[in-house]
Formats: sequence, C-alpha cells, structure tokens
Amino acid sequence: METKASEKGHLPNRLGIKGWVWGGNYTLERYLYTLHRLTGLGLLLYITLHLAMNGFRLGGVESWEDLMSVFGMSGFKVGEYLVAAAFIFHALNGGRLMLQHLGYTLGKPKPPVYPYVDSMRRRRPIVWVMLASIMALAIYVLVAFVT
Amino acid sequence: MSETRLKILQYITGIGLFLLVGTHLIVSHLSGGEPTAWESIAERASSSFWLAFYVLLLIFGLYHGLHGLRTIIIESIPRLPAKVVDWTLVTAGIAIFGYAAYIPISAF
Repeated sequence: METKASEKGHLPNRLGIKGWVWGGNYTLERYLYTLHRLTGLGLLLYITLHLAMNGFRLGGVESWEDLMSVFGMSGFKVGEYLVAAAFIFHALNGGRLMLQHLGYTLGKPKPPVYPYVDSMRRRRPIVWVMLASIMALAIYVLVAFVT
Repeated sequence: MSETRLKILQYITGIGLFLLVGTHLIVSHLSGGEPTAWESIAERASSSFWLAFYVLLLIFGLYHGLHGLRTIIIESIPRLPAKVVDWTLVTAGIAIFGYAAYIPISAF
C-alpha cells in the first residue's frame, strides 16, 4: 500500500477516517474541515432521499398529499432545519476553503522568528467572520422556520 | 480530465449550488404561501424556467456531491483503484440523473 501511495507522489494515509477526529494537535480549521465533510455527506444523503421522494409526484395528487402530511410532523421539521443549517455551514466554509486554496486569505509570509507559527496554526480573521455569519444565518433561518 | 480541472469544476459547481440551492430554499421553504401544495407544484412544473432551473440544480448537485464523495473514498481507502471509483460514481450519477430528470420532464 505504501509503495502504491509513494508511486503516486502522496504520503500514505495511515490514520484513515480516524484521522478526521484526532491525529495530533489539531487546530480549529482542521475540525472545520471534518465538519465540512460530515455536512457534505449528510447533504448528499438528504439529496438522495429528496430525489427519491420527488418520485411520489408521479403518483398524482393523493400520493403527493399523503407524503406531505407525513413531512408536516414536528420531527421532520427539526430534520429540515438541520439540513438548512448544514447547507449554510457547508456553503460558507466551502467559500472560505476555496479562497484559502487559491491563496487569497492565507496572509503575508512572515520571517521564521521563534516561536514559529506554521500556516495551519496562524489565526485568520476570515474564520471568525465566517463562524459569525453562520451563526447569524442559522438563527435567521431558525426564526423563519419557527414563525 | 486532470485532478486540477476536476477541482476547478468542484469550485464552479459549488458557487452555482450556493445560488441555486439558496433560491430553492427561499422559494420552497422560507417564502409565504404553500410552496409544497399540489397546485403550487403543478404551476412550477409547467414553467420552462423552473424545469431548466431544476435540471441545472441536479447536474451541479450530482457533480459536486459525487466528486466530494470520490475525494473522501480515494483518500480513505487508497487501495481502491481510482478508475474503479470513478466509473462506479459516473454510472451511479448517470442513473440518478436519469431518474431525477425524468420527474420534472414528465410533469412539464
């Protein structure tokens, strides 16, 4: 396995999925990455179910209204809100990741003066702006769902 | 297609989904009225704008979701040959697209 990975020019992924949770001294951005993946998988599962449910439309009015009466239950409303919250997080964190991957919000290079701060451990205002925006939008959508 | 191009497409579909899903959420869940009532559904189903909107949303969503899943699978299970993962996901994507696009097209 290691030979194959090194042939491709990548280091072997020894931690696997366990590495999403803990692999050493992780920073906030690393946990945001884990949450990005979890919300992405959750949204993918939801979309698959959503598309399957859409098929009830082909059954006509009765079939559709029977399905909608099930989705009107409070448990589904909570689930619907969690999907909206996951979308808000995934979208805004995805925007941040995109900017960072393209090198826009990494910050200016600094001289290596002790104590050294590597790129992963540098504090970036965009993270806090993003988290505040997620909170504000999540609260706004919650109020819209409740009222 | 190179990994860089696949990743750039992931970014483009991500931006597109932000706009399309945002619109879908506002129209279907946050606006007033009964967006999931049969009359409302039937009205949107007869509109060519909404048909194009939903097919575009489906294409963007499938690419973005399945490419994200591919990244996770290849990273987590490096023993799996990338081509097997690619063709499995492409086949699944085409099947889901066929089923999901048939619904609004047949209702149009």
